[in-house]
Amino acid sequence: MGTVQLTIDGYKIVADESKTVLEAALDNGIYIPHLCHHENLHPNGGCRLCVVKQDGVDGVITSCSTKVREGMVIHTKDEQAEAIRKLSCDFMFKTHPTECTGCPKYGKCQLASISQYVGDTGRDLRYTQIRVTADESNPLMLHEMHRCILCGRCVRACEEMRGVGALKFEKVDGRMRVVINGASLEEAGCRFCGACVEVCPTGSIRDKVGVFDENLPRERALVPCREACPAHVDVPKYIRFINEGNYAAAAATVREKVPLPEVLGYVCVHNCETNCKRNYLNGPVSIRNLKRYAAQQDDGAWKEKAFQKPDTGKKVAVIGSGPAGLTVAYYMRKLGHDVTVFEKLPQAGGQMRYGIPSYRLPREVLDKEIEEIKAIGVKIECNSEVQSAVDLKKDYDVVYAAIGTHAGNKLPLENNDLPDVYLNADFLRAENLGNPLPVGENVVVLGGGNVAIDCAETAVRLGAKHVVMTCLEAADKMTASDEEVTWAKEDGIIVENSRTFDAIVAENGKVTGLTVTGIEGLKFGPKGPEFTRIPDSTVTFPADTVIFAVGQHPDVTEAFGLELNRGRIVANPETFETNIEGIYASGDCVTGTRSVIQAIGEARIAVSAMDRYLGGDGNIEENLAPEQDANPCIGKATDAEKAGRHEPKTTEPCERVKNFDPMDLGFDCSAAGCESDRCLQCDLRLQIAPQKFWSDYVPEEGGAQ
Amino acid sequence: MKNLLVLSCLKDDNFAHISMHIMKERLDDVKAGVEKKASELDADVIYLLPEGEKVEGLEGDIRFGEYSPTLGNPNAVAKVLQGQLPRPMIQDDFVAVYDEKAVNVILPEEAYLLATGKNVRFVAVTKDDKTEIKEVEIGTKASEICDATGAKAVLIGGQKGTFVKPESLANYEISADGPDYAITVYGQDTCMVDLCVQLMTQAWQSSCGKCVLCREGTLQFKTIATEMTTGKAKATDTDLIKEVGQLIELGAYCPFGRSMAKPFISAIELFPDEFDDHIKRKTCKCGKCYKAAAVYLILPDKCIGCGDCVDECDEDAIEGKPKFIHMIDQDMCEQCGKCVDACDEGAIVKWEDGKLPKLPKKLTKVGKF
Repeated sequence: MGTVQLTIDGYKIVADESKTVLEAALDNGIYIPHLCHHENLHPNGGCRLCVVKQDGVDGVITSCSTKVREGMVIHTKDEQAEAIRKLSCDFMFKTHPTECTGCPKYGKCQLASISQYVGDTGRDLRYTQIRVTADESNPLMLHEMHRCILCGRCVRACEEMRGVGALKFEKVDGRMRVVINGASLEEAGCRFCGACVEVCPTGSIRDKVGVFDENLPRERALVPCREACPAHVDVPKYIRFINEGNYAAAAATVREKVPLPEVLGYVCVHNCETNCKRNYLNGPVSIRNLKRYAAQQDDGAWKEKAFQKPDTGKKVAVIGSGPAGLTVAYYMRKLGHDVTVFEKLPQAGGQMRYGIPSYRLPREVLDKEIEEIKAIGVKIECNSEVQSAVDLKKDYDVVYAAIGTHAGNKLPLENNDLPDVYLNADFLRAENLGNPLPVGENVVVLGGGNVAIDCAETAVRLGAKHVVMTCLEAADKMTASDEEVTWAKEDGIIVENSRTFDAIVAENGKVTGLTVTGIEGLKFGPKGPEFTRIPDSTVTFPADTVIFAVGQHPDVTEAFGLELNRGRIVANPETFETNIEGIYASGDCVTGTRSVIQAIGEARIAVSAMDRYLGGDGNIEENLAPEQDANPCIGKATDAEKAGRHEPKTTEPCERVKNFDPMDLGFDCSAAGCESDRCLQCDLRLQIAPQKFWSDYVPEEGGAQ
Repeated sequence: MKNLLVLSCLKDDNFAHISMHIMKERLDDVKAGVEKKASELDADVIYLLPEGEKVEGLEGDIRFGEYSPTLGNPNAVAKVLQGQLPRPMIQDDFVAVYDEKAVNVILPEEAYLLATGKNVRFVAVTKDDKTEIKEVEIGTKASEICDATGAKAVLIGGQKGTFVKPESLANYEISADGPDYAITVYGQDTCMVDLCVQLMTQAWQSSCGKCVLCREGTLQFKTIATEMTTGKAKATDTDLIKEVGQLIELGAYCPFGRSMAKPFISAIELFPDEFDDHIKRKTCKCGKCYKAAAVYLILPDKCIGCGDCVDECDEDAIEGKPKFIHMIDQDMCEQCGKCVDACDEGAIVKWEDGKLPKLPKKLTKVGKF
């Protein structure tokens, strides 16, 4: 490709011969007003703002659609050209609402910016109000076409860039309009990629308020699943790999951010799904199950690309082998440090092994991923309780504590100290150690979270006949995931919502029931829950066993040597360093009970801080997956894409309650393929150049001449 | 990429529907011209006809569409073939694609000239509402093919044309690269302002809407021309039309956009007094404009100053206070007619005569006018 030399406004410019005059000017910091032009779209030539004078050519030329040629002499500030621009601008404002400050795009509107640059002539033209009512019927996007100036960027983006064609031009009562090419966006085959929003220069097509977080930078806000993930796993990228059938690459993409991909595929709380844009349409993409499917097909090819820094000779002690501890151990070892993990219990895994029941997370999956971590040289010493982190620090360069929350909370109810009253953590740990605590025929579990469900389901599997879960929260406010609540009900567990616990009833030192009262108006204030008791709604659930599942706290005392606040270890929220230099802590023991992915996300940050403390650069980013060239031309929505969310296959309730075998069977190849079709590929929008304003090109020049 | 040759019969000017004439009268020559061009380009052929038209003896891939001045442009034709609105694309190296083929366009007149090698143009001459399409040698004077004796004005070039006086017809020669040839003769009873309303309404309808100057320019011209016939236009509007029109001639995207203001501008230049009469004196000598546009007014001898009409008017176009003769501000009046029913005295009337009765110019007490 050759280059040509031309002159623009007296400046000699060398430009690639494939460029247009407008591109050559903009590339060289010479601003020519333009509106219908967008750097990712084919030239259009309709707005007449980019007209310039070329020596030797009568009239003006359209700079966005004229290629550069050798020896061209261009004048962007020619009198005629400027007069035409002003007229075009005048014209556009004669059908566009005159009140700018009430527009949601105020301050970010390209039309307003251009008119500021081009200037107003005050011509006595006639104002015509475009009467189109706002179309708010779509949950994601909003059309307020009375603001439309017909630059056509949305239509072109949808057609040329995306191959969808959900928008089109139409003459309505003689007036050109941009309309939906069908009864609704869904029917028009819209993929909800947001390209139209991204290119609209005015406030005509916008994201609905609340769809994206406006306080975040664009790169983060536009991909809500990736943003919501504490470890920022690149969700759209791996779903696209799954869609292409490249499962190993998908697994490698997940592995770039987390050392326990398959475990997460089973048990992740999936904040990504909560924030998936498809929630607004027909339910989120089943991201966790896609991850699980991909992780199961992992061929380990990523290992060749994984970094392993040379040994540094620094010694790192990790206390606790839960997700936080294992993540820290994995990355610290990769950074070249000598890592030893101390685990109090007989096997590594923390809550993944001693909290989460095996019917949710098969132990061989956990074992396999822990082996992967050990394989790079992490030493794990089980049955090794650390009494004091401070003492341990004497022998190590850095100590990291992630001791989790292995002690259950007990509410101050009458009879709460009887032998038939258990705590969640103890109950689940005992079962996972192979010495389950005995349960009676009637079991009542107090609590409405996922751990409460784990306790209830475990009780069922240990032989309880009637299991009741009861909690303060209403059915739609429970912290347990909907899916697990549904499964629990299938398994015969009765969920009693909106109840406050009055007393554990006992006879002769033996639990016989739990008395509760119905409540309403539940709120969580600074002093804890606030609610109104409903008169005459007190009942007693018969119970032989009562299990508290109302939160957990770290099993730690001052003897550990670290500052505590309300029973939790205090750590700097940015570096996770504790009050003792060189000792770091994160995970549940700092934040209270959270999730595996939260622990991993924070552990990654802690790793970077610790590595820097040890003299490293703290960088643990790695590219394990192949480069992905995401195809922006996604085409019309297919029926598969419009279909609802795929649910995983599960074992039959009557069978699964008899044992601790895995119950959620995940996806097969076809379900994974179909479900991956449902991804809206929000990240494609980041391929589109952000909108620029004249001040982005000419920072020092003034506005209207 | 394979080539596609589209014979477009849809580019015709509203005043010169010559394409279908040539198709029907000279089909064999057109076909020969199309075949010649198609074999040069090694192209498949599509015939694009106006909706509902039929040409005896024409076979092959025939499609239909609506007239648009842009349909000589390959991209506009490609869009129409795709079932979309026409949208021209004028750009270096641009190739319009339809059905994975590069679109080339030929007009019936071009095909005819290509086949016959003749040095002629087709001209549509319209007089007294009758149109005759003539095959005319290049170089012929307009006066030779059209007798405009006693006429008021002649429009040469249809929607993109210029108004001339009949006596200057001899100055115009038919040239090979001239515009679409339509010569339209207007009699003495024609109101030029009213004619401009029609012409600008047609221009607004013909505009494809892609380019701001044409889309919004035709809307402005249509609006302002209409205001000239309803008494809302301003004295400065003729200069505004000329100034804006000249900028559009310079800056619009396509040939149609660059020429669509010409009839309006030339009419103003040729008949300045007639426009002045309409705008400043609010009269139409031909009796067309102010007659057609009814105004609502309050008869000063009947109004009792009750104020009932003021409450009824959504536009706040009625001025008045108790016991004073009420007045309708014609600039604000939307002619909804609601005030007529609100007046128990029958003082408000719809006035359809061109000449208005004498009305008070400022608030006047009932009985004092």
